[in-house]
Amino acid sequence: MTATATEAKANGLGDRLKDLKRISFVDIILWSLRILVLVVVVFGTIGTIIKDKYSAEQWFDFFMFGLTIGGIYALIALGYTMVYGILRLINFAHGDITMTGAFSAYFLARGLDRSGFLDANPIMSMILIMGLAMIVCSCIALAVERICYRPFRHVATLAPLICAIGASFFLQHSFRGMYGSTIRAYPDPEWMKGQVDVLGFQVPVYQLIVIAIALAAMLFLYLIVQKTKMGTAMRAVSEDRDAASMMGIDVNKVILFTFILGGCMAGIGGVLYCMVYKQIYFYMGFLPGVKAFSAAVLGGIGNIPGAMLGGFFLGVVESVGPALWLDGFGITAPYQMRDLIAFTMLVMVLIFRPQGLLGERLASKRA
Amino acid sequence: MKLKNFLKGTVVAVTLAALASTMPQAQAAETKGPVTDDIGVVMIPKGAPIHIGGYWTISGPDTALGLDQQRGAEIAMDDWDNKVAGHPIKFYVEDSQCNAEGGQTAATKLASNQNIVVVVGPDCSSAGTPGGPILWKAGIPSVATSTTAPSLTAPDRPEGLHGYLRTIYNDLSAGAADAEYFYNEMKCKTMATVHDGSPYAEQLVRVAEGRFKELGGEVVAAEAVTPTDVDMRPLLTGIATAKPCVLYFPIFVAAAAQIVRQAGEIKGMEETTIIGGSALMAPGFLEAAGDTAVGFRFTNPDASDDAFGERYPEMVKKYEEKYGEKPIQAFHANAYDGMAVALMAIEKVAVKDDDGNTYIGRKALRDALFATKGYDGIGGEITCNEHGDCAGFKFAVYEFTNGDPATFEIGTNPKKIYPK
Repeated sequence: MTATATEAKANGLGDRLKDLKRISFVDIILWSLRILVLVVVVFGTIGTIIKDKYSAEQWFDFFMFGLTIGGIYALIALGYTMVYGILRLINFAHGDITMTGAFSAYFLARGLDRSGFLDANPIMSMILIMGLAMIVCSCIALAVERICYRPFRHVATLAPLICAIGASFFLQHSFRGMYGSTIRAYPDPEWMKGQVDVLGFQVPVYQLIVIAIALAAMLFLYLIVQKTKMGTAMRAVSEDRDAASMMGIDVNKVILFTFILGGCMAGIGGVLYCMVYKQIYFYMGFLPGVKAFSAAVLGGIGNIPGAMLGGFFLGVVESVGPALWLDGFGITAPYQMRDLIAFTMLVMVLIFRPQGLLGERLASKRA
Repeated sequence: MKLKNFLKGTVVAVTLAALASTMPQAQAAETKGPVTDDIGVVMIPKGAPIHIGGYWTISGPDTALGLDQQRGAEIAMDDWDNKVAGHPIKFYVEDSQCNAEGGQTAATKLASNQNIVVVVGPDCSSAGTPGGPILWKAGIPSVATSTTAPSLTAPDRPEGLHGYLRTIYNDLSAGAADAEYFYNEMKCKTMATVHDGSPYAEQLVRVAEGRFKELGGEVVAAEAVTPTDVDMRPLLTGIATAKPCVLYFPIFVAAAAQIVRQAGEIKGMEETTIIGGSALMAPGFLEAAGDTAVGFRFTNPDASDDAFGERYPEMVKKYEEKYGEKPIQAFHANAYDGMAVALMAIEKVAVKDDDGNTYIGRKALRDALFATKGYDGIGGEITCNEHGDCAGFKFAVYEFTNGDPATFEIGTNPKKIYPK
């Protein structure tokens, strides 16, 4: 071998090494993670199908459980995403605002239940209960905005975020102080106990009620944002607050309206949560709040249909995931890993689509 | 470069600190007044109070569990006229929250008070697991009152638990008795289990599974939840596919109430009997589960008058007079005994000097506690072994008869259904 050939070979090897050097450690980790998750999903699903442990009816049940909790996540997620869209602020107190709605719903529902009104007039009762929860959540959301966020609106620091966390603790412990730390049971009226036939499967009535109300509320919100003057103003403020202000939009009013809308959705979410899980206590808003925030990020934070999709996606993955992906490997106690699966999916979606499922790539000014 | 050095320094410091914290504290023998003790002596001046600590669950959904025990301990102090070794008692109570974080915080607060000679409690194994070692590292022995996890008094337990004993049974007995009831009395050949990751629930479930298999049964599903889980439907649907004869879930109020509420909705669970554990004997469970609690069974130490010591009815009378209600959980008698054992041990080791000051050796107190033998306790005979197990176990099964928390009364709602 000549000296030139040896040199050329050495150069070629050097180039290849340089190429390899461009692949960072983080790239290797990310690709390994993607491959691992893909392997778990594919082989887990195949294993579960081969095992044939669950009937079609049970898969349908899993899906409906997921849609039910997903609808609640989606409603709460809307509050996070709208506030983020307008203020670029993560309102960490939003889960606890949902809790305040659930508490007010509980007190009214208990009264109506004792008087017999809840059983006799289901529709009127639901309107009253949801109305109260929406009013309470909106008022508390407005108070939080006025006290915790507005003073920092033009301050580019982490202060509003810390304030949001403080507001979250304040709400939790105020309710603990006022109503104690024991669990209270939401009433269980007779009209929620039946089952109906859907596509040949028996589905509990309350699941259909919860999914229907969640979808109706989301549709209503979507129409407000897309078809009304205030909705247009919201979108304008979300796009560019300064330009919207110069165009004559009352930004302050738009922000207040956004908090009211978010509060209303939280109120409905709180009531639906009570209807499904029946337990009311001061800490109940925290975990659904975290999940709903994840759902908002998953769907593309700032994007309203994204929050809805993210909520349903997270709910269904939590419900179906352990059975579909982990049972196939014969893993013991797969449901303990429900949150792990949900948040792994969140990470995976964000690795492939950092802007979320329906999110747009934000310009540096907006991001 | 400076940053790098700083990071290196921090890593080394943190590593050393971590190593130091895992090592048993080197405690030299100490002499105060007439007493010399291997790990330290507490001097109580004449007329000053003797400090005793306690930590139980006094907030959250399992409040009844801890509050009931705090009351049991307070009644014991009343029976001693709130005095021990000629000194008034000063009692500090912290909240264990029935979890590791709460236990750690409560024990750290108590350990920071070096006047405390002994701690009574906690009620939850998850709190005692970190709490016991923190206290013993400060030279304070603890007498737990309803922590039943086998690991706490296992022969190979860590050094930190050598100052930890309990006036409650060990789940090695309870888990085996539960499994025997399922297999022999209910005639079940298949079992599913759910625990919540707490030392109490997980270890109890493992013992019950082991005994059930020994008897010839099959564990068809072994699941786990977290204490904050609310949606049990997917979990129960998975369990229903295995069609177990009995579903055993000795977990705490919030998650257990969700299982009880949701099990009725699950197709395939119709033939499965669901059975909980002793943490559910509380009005809070009825509040959380509502009417779905009616007919629900759980295993528990026998809480009927004839299962306790002779003095139990008298204690219940004092309980009602002092707190205006009947006992709200099942372990007040164990807590009474825990405090009584602590007070007797203090009296045994306390030494007075000529000026009337009292001296208590910490190691001597620990040894006196472990040497307790044949005490006729409210909850039964208390005799401690070298590992810290001091009480026996009497098995029973209870069933709720009404979903209204106001009707909670041990004996009628829930009523004992086994042994009859």
